[in-house]
Amino acid sequence: MPQKSVLIPWRPVTSVVLLLLVWELAARAKLTPPLFLPPFSVVADQLCRSIADGSLTNDLALSLARAFGGLLVGTATGVACGLVMSRSRFAEWLIDPFVALGFPAPKIAFLPIFILWFGIGSSSKILLVAFACIFPVVIGTYNAARSVGRLFVWSALSLGSNRRSIFFHVILPACYPRIFTTFRIAVPVALITTFTAEMVAGGGGMGATLIYSQRFFESPTVFAYIVVMMCVGLVLDSALLSFQRRFLGWAEN
Amino acid sequence: MLIRPEAVSAGAARLIGRMSPLVLFIALWYGACSSGLVNSEFLPTPTKVAAALADLVSGGEIARNLFVTLFRAAVGLGLGSICGIWIGLMMARSERFKAYVTPIVGGTYSLPKSALIPLFALWFGIGNVTAIAAVFLACLLPMIVNTYHGVVTTPKVLVWSAQALGTTDRELPSQVLLRSAMPDIFTGLRIALGFSFVLAISTEMIASTSGIGKLIFLYGENGTYDYMFAAIACIVAVAFVADRVTLLGMHRLLRWHESAAADYERRRL
Repeated sequence: MPQKSVLIPWRPVTSVVLLLLVWELAARAKLTPPLFLPPFSVVADQLCRSIADGSLTNDLALSLARAFGGLLVGTATGVACGLVMSRSRFAEWLIDPFVALGFPAPKIAFLPIFILWFGIGSSSKILLVAFACIFPVVIGTYNAARSVGRLFVWSALSLGSNRRSIFFHVILPACYPRIFTTFRIAVPVALITTFTAEMVAGGGGMGATLIYSQRFFESPTVFAYIVVMMCVGLVLDSALLSFQRRFLGWAEN
Repeated sequence: MLIRPEAVSAGAARLIGRMSPLVLFIALWYGACSSGLVNSEFLPTPTKVAAALADLVSGGEIARNLFVTLFRAAVGLGLGSICGIWIGLMMARSERFKAYVTPIVGGTYSLPKSALIPLFALWFGIGNVTAIAAVFLACLLPMIVNTYHGVVTTPKVLVWSAQALGTTDRELPSQVLLRSAMPDIFTGLRIALGFSFVLAISTEMIASTSGIGKLIFLYGENGTYDYMFAAIACIVAVAFVADRVTLLGMHRLLRWHESAAADYERRRL
């Protein structure tokens, strides 16, 4: 790709700048009521003030703690379930229908149950996030473990490995790249679930503040929070992608 | 295609064998409730939930709200798919369009779409439009990304052959590119289907006066937990059936594709 050698990619920058400019001008020209669309400069100003008074940082820390707490629980359980399912036919028979039913189910519908059982604090949200993340991880891990090349297993067997060491030294490492891929899928799921749960059930965090701001018609705050949520998703995904390229690059075709 | 009766009965037997752990689960649930191991305030017995379910279904409560939810999800999914396929195709065909659109698609892709629900509620009020807009945006992104991937990875040989046989540039998408991208488009559709349910229900919980999401939430707030569990069971069943139907349609429509058989087996889980 020769034209990629240009240092600044002009076209993408142009479209972002153009979008912000149109936003600013449309709002300044009063094409829409400022309640619906505050100018970008006002949103940026509000963003700075929210960061300065610590409210945004607190909300973000709380939301991220919930999302990652749930992600951790969900991924750990999911990987364990997926590996056990790939090794034991009984476990596969036992867990499979729950995964088949749970995977396509809209997990947010279970929120009232989690609130009923675990209260409206952080624990219900963390567990709901774990519940939402577990299904893609189980399926991804199971498929990864099932598709480990027979050649690797046979080679290890002929070199004298026992079942235990084949599992820990052949199958598990061979699964890492695909487990990581499912983890990358689970991260946005965790974020969405956390924000939505906070919007529905309150209890602090980005989602709760967002919905309160909307109810009190503080539009600049609504926009500022949405911008931050977008950046969080973007930063996390590119961080995970570069981690994957750096440490799991050996699995690329 | 004709379906052989013995194939159906074999399939049914396999399904029963596969789903038997669910019976075990319900038995355990019943045991836990009736032995007083868990407080029945927090977990109604399966019989009470079943009674509530029967009441909801016969009273038309479920059908009415489910229809509202499914309508919103389907309209959003339909619009999102059409626009997503179009944008994905354009991105794959025009380097310039792609360069301009990529940052916007990338930014929206990583934005948790439910964050926009309050904004849409502000813009469109409480009702169908807000829900449809949220579902639309959530479905749009996976469709764009998957269509783009599918079209970009179209084997050059197919394009060259079609051109050599006289396919014009205008005919190329419908005759070659989109057909070749079908497996990816279906993958996107399946992801979008999941999103459409999640977003429709989230919107109903946050800003709506009707729909199954609102119904579940109302029962939760009123403390009629047997009805709440019954409504949740309904939505799980509907989402499961919708996913299976999509999968089946995908399998049927992609019979010609070599990856279909293996893919179907792999994703059967």
